Amino acid sequence: MPARAGHSIFGENYKMMQEIHSIRETALIELSRLQDKQALEKFRLKYLSRRGIISQLFEKMKDLPKEEKPAVGKALNDLRSEIETNFENTLKQIEFKEIEKRERIDDLTLPGRKRYVGRKHPLTQTLDEIKRIFFSLGFGISYGPEIEDDYHNFEALNFPPDHPARDMQDTFFVKSESGSYLLRTHTSPVQIRVMENNAPPIRVIIPGRVYRNEAISARSYCLFHQVEGLYVDKNVSFAELKGTIGYFAREFFGSDVKLRFRPSFFPFTEPSAEVDISCFICRGKGCKVCKYSGWLEILGCGMVDPNLYRYVGYDEDEVNGYAFGMGIERIALLSYGIDDIRLFFENDLRFLNQF
Amino acid sequence: MKISRKWLEKFVDLNGISDEEIAYQLTMRGIEVESFENLSAKYDGIVIGKVLEVANHPNAEKLKICKVDIGSGVRSIICGAPNVSIGQHVPVGLAGAIIPHDQHDPDGKPFKLDNIKIRGVESQGMICSEYELDLGSDKAGIMVFDEDAPVGIPLAGYLELDDTIFEISITPNRSDCLSHIGIARELAAAFSHKLQVPDYEIHEGDKAVDWFAEVEVLDYTLCPRYSARVVTGTKVAPSPRWLRSALERVGMRSINNVVDATNYVMLELGQPLHAFDLDRLTGRKIVVRKPHPFETKFVTLDGKEREIDPDMLMIADAEKVVAIAGVMGGQNSEINPSTTNIFLESANFLPSSIRKTSKKLGLSSEAAYRFERGVDPNLTLLAVDMASAIIQKTGGGDIAAGIIDAKTSDFPRKEIQISVTKVNQILGLNLTLSEIKQLLESIEISSVEGSEDKLHCSIPTFRGDVNREVDIIEEVARLYGYEKIPEGLKTELSFDSRFKEHKSIDEIRNFLSGAGFVEIVTNSLQSKDLANKSSEQGVLLANPVSDEMAAMRTSLLPSTLAVVKTNLSHSVSNLKLFEIGRIYLVSPFKQLVGNFLEVDRLAIALTGVADPISYDRPEHPFDIFDIKSEIERLLERFKLDNWEFISYDNSKEYRYSLKLVIDGRDAGILGQISAMQLSEYDIGQDVLFAEIDLDVLASGVEKNKRYKPLPKFPFAFIDLSFIVDANVPVGNLMSSIRKVAGNNFRDINLFDVYTGEGIPEGKKSVAFSVAVGSDERTLNDSDISDFISSVEQQLKEDFGALLRKQKT
Repeated sequence: MPARAGHSIFGENYKMMQEIHSIRETALIELSRLQDKQALEKFRLKYLSRRGIISQLFEKMKDLPKEEKPAVGKALNDLRSEIETNFENTLKQIEFKEIEKRERIDDLTLPGRKRYVGRKHPLTQTLDEIKRIFFSLGFGISYGPEIEDDYHNFEALNFPPDHPARDMQDTFFVKSESGSYLLRTHTSPVQIRVMENNAPPIRVIIPGRVYRNEAISARSYCLFHQVEGLYVDKNVSFAELKGTIGYFAREFFGSDVKLRFRPSFFPFTEPSAEVDISCFICRGKGCKVCKYSGWLEILGCGMVDPNLYRYVGYDEDEVNGYAFGMGIERIALLSYGIDDIRLFFENDLRFLNQF
Repeated sequence: MKISRKWLEKFVDLNGISDEEIAYQLTMRGIEVESFENLSAKYDGIVIGKVLEVANHPNAEKLKICKVDIGSGVRSIICGAPNVSIGQHVPVGLAGAIIPHDQHDPDGKPFKLDNIKIRGVESQGMICSEYELDLGSDKAGIMVFDEDAPVGIPLAGYLELDDTIFEISITPNRSDCLSHIGIARELAAAFSHKLQVPDYEIHEGDKAVDWFAEVEVLDYTLCPRYSARVVTGTKVAPSPRWLRSALERVGMRSINNVVDATNYVMLELGQPLHAFDLDRLTGRKIVVRKPHPFETKFVTLDGKEREIDPDMLMIADAEKVVAIAGVMGGQNSEINPSTTNIFLESANFLPSSIRKTSKKLGLSSEAAYRFERGVDPNLTLLAVDMASAIIQKTGGGDIAAGIIDAKTSDFPRKEIQISVTKVNQILGLNLTLSEIKQLLESIEISSVEGSEDKLHCSIPTFRGDVNREVDIIEEVARLYGYEKIPEGLKTELSFDSRFKEHKSIDEIRNFLSGAGFVEIVTNSLQSKDLANKSSEQGVLLANPVSDEMAAMRTSLLPSTLAVVKTNLSHSVSNLKLFEIGRIYLVSPFKQLVGNFLEVDRLAIALTGVADPISYDRPEHPFDIFDIKSEIERLLERFKLDNWEFISYDNSKEYRYSLKLVIDGRDAGILGQISAMQLSEYDIGQDVLFAEIDLDVLASGVEKNKRYKPLPKFPFAFIDLSFIVDANVPVGNLMSSIRKVAGNNFRDINLFDVYTGEGIPEGKKSVAFSVAVGSDERTLNDSDISDFISSVEQQLKEDFGALLRKQKT
């Protein structure tokens, strides 16, 4: 070590540097022991305030020889900045701790704050699913009026006046002085309206509310909802109808469901069929729901009767098509296992909240 | 309709074919079997026995101990019937048999028989009454059979109850199947068996029928054919067992041999017949005509006086009406025990006329049911022959020679041409001409090959429903088997915007259910009372089920309140409900259908507490600002911006209400339901309700969404608080501020309304947070202070408001 340094080592400079060093040590240790804001404030006053130790050291520095000032000044500045930084960090940590302490929740088993949960009616949920399936097959959708004239509800659907087929649907009539009006007994009149207003090809489903003048019981209500389907084009066949209904049933009820088409009669289709699916409750073995037959009736369908084309002004030699109709309540009753149709219209939340 | 297997076996061989198989085949051919019951199974373990000895029971005065021979041995049976005596042939139930009715049970439930001790003596069976066996109503004593009843044979065999009864539902087109022969024909086709039509031998007397009676048909349109025979010198008596049993098995009551003969023929062939007492027909003449103007009342067989009208077809004698054609006979010519000469009618009537008459009279009958569906016009002769033969066989007498057969023409088979290509095109099959020909032959449709792919078909007259090519196509499909037609799905895609779904309704449903609302679906029929009270003109039903459901609803409010009440009664008292439903009005203008206007509406109801009860927040009951907020949320969600609420307090349903106006159109009402209205539903808590026109709402939902560039310059947020008279509406202050801000308006929120300490009496302090901004630049201090002073000035001018505090 050079001799010149010896002077310095034992001069004012050396003492000051040593002092800075020891203040640093002490301050950092003190700081690390501080627990709260008051103590921290005391620390700040002691070291960092205008009258604090560091400021005093700066005062002392004035008395140093000029050539030694830069080195000591730098050391002092480093000291102040280090302590300040450490002070800020400690302050933040103490503050965090205080916040955490103050906002501590002891019991996390308290339940979440409740909010109301909404849901769609089971009939809407069922219709949504039916719509989804037919939309995926390229069907559009159409709607029509619930108060209908005899022409659209019966005559144009090939129900002749004074024909027993009209007994198949008990009808509500509407009081009117200007004509014979009724509450539609099925969504089929919308088939006529759609065809009257649109040229083929037509591929639509038609959901809606229908009415039957029947005594209210667990099995029947004065109104229910149907989804009708209509496809009219060239070269539509009964095989296509079977394919479409089969696709629907497997999508809706599951891919292992079996179908059975039985000949039936509807005035507006020829040939007509009723469609059963294998009972998914007993898997065809026979149970109360399927009345021990193993089969559940889900819809009626058939090839559009050519008479309808005449009513709507289509050329019956040019087009053919199929139509089908199902009761949304019936589908919902079956798929949810509900045994009373009235539940849908009572709107008891203990019921609605199950879906 | 009930169909007996035994009866079917007269026409078709069903040997070795199970009941299940018959039910399946019929169902798959469109003749739906709803259920079937094997009657012999019902009487398993019940046999004919002969009473050998009758002794008194040692421990009971009224009971007897009988020794009964049951063929396989002798049993000791205890019997309490007063009529039991030695030598009787009786029905004996043995251990294990199910007795159809328990005489001691108030409901007459069935029970299983066992050997039991009665007062210390064992009874090895039971001698049964008619009631216990479900064969009649007599409970007074045991049933006693003729002495020739063979001892030991099963009761079912003896009573010809070894039969299966099928409950069948026939669609309105298949009138040919309203008879045993019709069903047998389908089964013959199904099993490729031949249909055997039995012959009926007629032993005619010497005198010609014309000598006894005369028929005149005045309306051949309504009565295309009237055939008749006369049986003289016969005896009206109870029917023999075979006839009674045949009718009773299919659920028809036996009356006497003559009436039973006509019913038997109807059930066998499907031709309704009517028997008149010939001696009660004035002039021994039948006239088929409409009633004379003075003939307005007529007493039918059932003893009821009916009002007849000039359009109804009547059967009359020389001077009076004796029957309502095809519907029901009259008391004045009815068969009675002293009748000896019988005029048997076997006619054909126009279906629509019978239906009109039957509807108008509110009178249905087995005959009317068949006539209105159409009966084969070529059936009259066979039917009248058969009935005459049965009457003669059961009551004796002479059948007059010849048949009266009034008609103006014959009834030939229809000829229909079909194209094989068309059949295959419609069904999606590949059948050959000869396959089709063969299928059709099985149901007696004969055909000959024509040119190209044509087949000329000849349709039997009992198939009145087969009139067109497509009807034959249906028959081909049915006979081939719907099951065997393959599933196809090669439908061509079409792109069609004509039938697209309007998203709005689904979107609104999704939004509301996400916002905590439960969807309800309510009855659109409402009570007469409600309809009378409504200010709107509603639609009334002409034939309601009840006064409770006699009108179409004109608002969704009543049915919603009913739902609130239902749930309150189950202690579910906090409800957020919505419904999307229709209301029905009578419009002064012509609509799509008549002048009926159907409007889709959205209803929202709130009742109970605004948030479910929780441990750390106060309960706040729903109030008008909650319903307002829900509507505002909906409007904001669907980007409807040009709307306002207008005070609207002239409705008795509401305590407070507001009208919602969207783009200048009335869109609906919301508010708090009045106590008076709630009391009608026994609802003891506030209900907030809104009913919005869905079309107006949806028009906004379906608006095209367009992107606007994000603001380039920051907004300034300014808090302003004013002191105004307490009665100044805050909404008006807000719209004034909005107006002053003009294009720079961005947002406004009310954050405080205060009265009390520090505020002069009769005044209130109102504080807003206003956001303003510009598209061109950042607003500077002077812009903002200009804005504040404009607001201050405007509100002072309009409302005398004093700016109390401001903060930027």
